Amino acid sequence: MSAEAETATRTYRPPMGAGWWTRKGHYFWYMVREFTALPLALWLLWLLYEIQRAGRGPSGYYPPNSTAFVIFSAICLPFALYHSFTFLKLAGVILRVKLLDKPLASGVIVATMFGTWLVASVVVGAVLIGFGR
Amino acid sequence: MTEQVARRPALAHLFWWFMFSQGGVLAALLIPVHIVVQGILGPLGVVKVVDRHYDTWISILGNPIVKLYLLVLISLPFFHFAHRLRYLLVDLGVPAAKSFPAQVVFYGAAILVTLVTIWVLLTTAPISLG
Repeated sequence: MSAEAETATRTYRPPMGAGWWTRKGHYFWYMVREFTALPLALWLLWLLYEIQRAGRGPSGYYPPNSTAFVIFSAICLPFALYHSFTFLKLAGVILRVKLLDKPLASGVIVATMFGTWLVASVVVGAVLIGFGR
Repeated sequence: MTEQVARRPALAHLFWWFMFSQGGVLAALLIPVHIVVQGILGPLGVVKVVDRHYDTWISILGNPIVKLYLLVLISLPFFHFAHRLRYLLVDLGVPAAKSFPAQVVFYGAAILVTLVTIWVLLTTAPISLG
């Protein structure tokens, strides 16, 4: 089909309002998945600030103790978990791995990703807690 | 007459998609445990955490492997976030978020965070293997 013919048969698509994602649960959770980036970015910026504060020396550093900070983290956590679940589950659709010339089942790939998440969490948690006092 | 179309690999596209996916995987694997331990359990006093005291925090921050880890942990997810937030705006009815200037702003912010992270990691604690 030529470009002209394509243009001639193009159908009118009414513009969607900004609130389209509130109409169905599926749309809503899609937007939540996209939104997870914001709280996670804010929490990582806080971590960067926490690292920078260590440069103030022993008299200028104090650990984060405020209730507001714990609440902020508690709000960020479900977004972080939702990102993890949705992104690691996607691996079964995106990744194509062949083992002995046979494609690996998507369930195996997803299970490997979730297993990696568990191992990484245990290792990082052990370092954060193990070097603490 | 046949028209020859020059086909070039979309290297820029490949690069940004690589950064998006790697940032997404890293954020998925590593951020929840940091939030749980450093953001909730540590401040509540449930467990001892490395950033609760200056000496343990500055000591681990001096380790070059930890510096490299923190650089990857903080900077790569921002390339993922840049893409997600750009398309969140598109989905909310802001098509300008697809434009080249918007790409410069969002991916530029990710590059800026990377540079600031490198600067903070290099200036906060001297590199030490001890």
